[in-house]
Amino acid sequence: MIEAEYLNKTYGSTAAIQDVSFRVEPGEILGFLGPNGAGKTTTMRILTGYLPATSGSARIADYEVHTHSMEVRKRIGYLPETPPLYREMTVERFLHFVAQIKGVAAGDRSQRVESAMRRCNLLEKRSILIRKLSKGFRQRVGIAQAIVHDPPAIILDEPTVGLDPRQIIEVRNLIKSLSGEHTIILSTHILPEASMTCNRVAIINQGKIVATDTPDNLMSRLAGEAGYEVEIQGDLQLALQRLEAIDGIRTATVMEIEGLPQDRHRLQVVSDGNRDSGGEMASVLIGAGLGLYELRRTRVSLEDVFLNLTTQEKTEDSSMESTFAPTEPDSPQETSTSDPANGPEED
Amino acid sequence: MLTVFNNVIAIYQRELRGYFASPLAYAIAGLFWLLGGFFLTVILLSPQGLIAQVAIADQFGGAGASIDVPYEFLKIYLSLLGSLSMFVLPILSMGLYAEERKQGTLELLATSPITNWAVALGKLLGVVTFYIGIVLPLMFCEAIALSTSDPPIQPIGMILGHLGLILLAASVLSLGMFVSSLTESTVLAAIMTFVLVLLLWVVDAIAEGLGGAWGEILSHLSLLTHYTDFTEGVLDTSGLLLFISYIVLGLFLTAQSIDALRFQRS
Repeated sequence: MIEAEYLNKTYGSTAAIQDVSFRVEPGEILGFLGPNGAGKTTTMRILTGYLPATSGSARIADYEVHTHSMEVRKRIGYLPETPPLYREMTVERFLHFVAQIKGVAAGDRSQRVESAMRRCNLLEKRSILIRKLSKGFRQRVGIAQAIVHDPPAIILDEPTVGLDPRQIIEVRNLIKSLSGEHTIILSTHILPEASMTCNRVAIINQGKIVATDTPDNLMSRLAGEAGYEVEIQGDLQLALQRLEAIDGIRTATVMEIEGLPQDRHRLQVVSDGNRDSGGEMASVLIGAGLGLYELRRTRVSLEDVFLNLTTQEKTEDSSMESTFAPTEPDSPQETSTSDPANGPEED
Repeated sequence: MLTVFNNVIAIYQRELRGYFASPLAYAIAGLFWLLGGFFLTVILLSPQGLIAQVAIADQFGGAGASIDVPYEFLKIYLSLLGSLSMFVLPILSMGLYAEERKQGTLELLATSPITNWAVALGKLLGVVTFYIGIVLPLMFCEAIALSTSDPPIQPIGMILGHLGLILLAASVLSLGMFVSSLTESTVLAAIMTFVLVLLLWVVDAIAEGLGGAWGEILSHLSLLTHYTDFTEGVLDTSGLLLFISYIVLGLFLTAQSIDALRFQRS
């Protein structure tokens, strides 16, 4: 549904994102997790056609976002970091206007606006001027304008930033309820948010995607597993078999990477965290007559990212726990009044 | 084609509705009416006014009789409205895009299936309609004054003069819209537009000073000269073309500048 291939964006001589590639399957929610300034907003803007990529391509519903911009625009709903709202309009008028410019047929508009308002719990606020709404409601109007034309793909940039904890939960539930019929990408710099709302998470740091996996896998990777990336040449089945036979290796899977030379394979190996199996893996692979081209730990880079994430949060919110710990909602640490998501805005 | 039309209508309606919700729009309209009405009375009825002057000339006999009071009035009043508009129009155009940029709604428009052209055209039509809206009551006052003239005046002169006023306004608003698309600051947009308009207003004076071929070319760009033709009831195709060129140029530059914005954004 949404595909990005080797997206690059440079501003002057600084690279905002480098070789960003990912896929989002229909009906899935992909979380884009990374610290502020990692390139999340840039990626979102490229996907919507708002910014052109320096190189690489992205497709939404099989239309290239830059060359077929108009076709793509018809099929996406987009909530930028600051919700684009006309403050002097009422909620209902505004949504009508958006439906109109998104090309919803005149006969369907009222019904679409009605259903968007119902979904976002805005019915009671329909005739209120947007400038009189609280921040949480404005955010909901922002989400409503992204879904009013029933687009197959929805792109949400930091949808919960600046909301209070109760509003955050509401918005997350709303987003979850949209999955299935819509394909969603949302960006966030809060780890629990990504793990609670998304089917898969792509972690982006300093413009590069460092890991893409389900939240559970990411969590377990964090919790005492070691990961390796291995590039070999030769019999793939033999390699997998030998690797998995090593004591302490849990899984070995083939990574799908394009552009590898013939007969080369890249494997992702997960082992127990308390053993360092690198040496053993190397000798087993070479002993089996396979070519070993690369062997490196992946765990380290992932840890780096989370360290970065947490240190960033620490300086912003002075509450490290709030970003890391509360996987259970009733966590006693949430007594602090400071809003965990209320970091300063990106860029 | 139909969707483009629908999009223009959508932008147009939103823009126009925006004026009804904007205190600034009411303030501008109020000020315009106040000054317009004041000058209308002064020109016609004050001791130095047109009617008094003609009456005096009449008393001295002969020469005064050839003054055509209604046309003279229309000419003076329209040129005054033109000058007044030079101050008002930059304020009307300043927010057209600067406000969208500031509020982030440009990102909504830029990611919707709508072309930059349609947005610019809708906005221009909206603001021109608003301007016509604030000129209409003054036209009504003029009509009352002119209805007393004997022999009755030809309505074509009056219509042509006001058409000129609206074309002038549309040109300035179109260029002002382009200036507004260059900045996030409404104040800056207003000032820059005002300077630009002032330049175009007096460009024939500059041209005279310059002389030669360049002076010749510049003198044709003057808003004032062509506008004066209209207020005198002369339909001059070159003036019409000039105004239309300014309008199209403004629209074109606006669409281009919004497109270019995507490449410089950091």
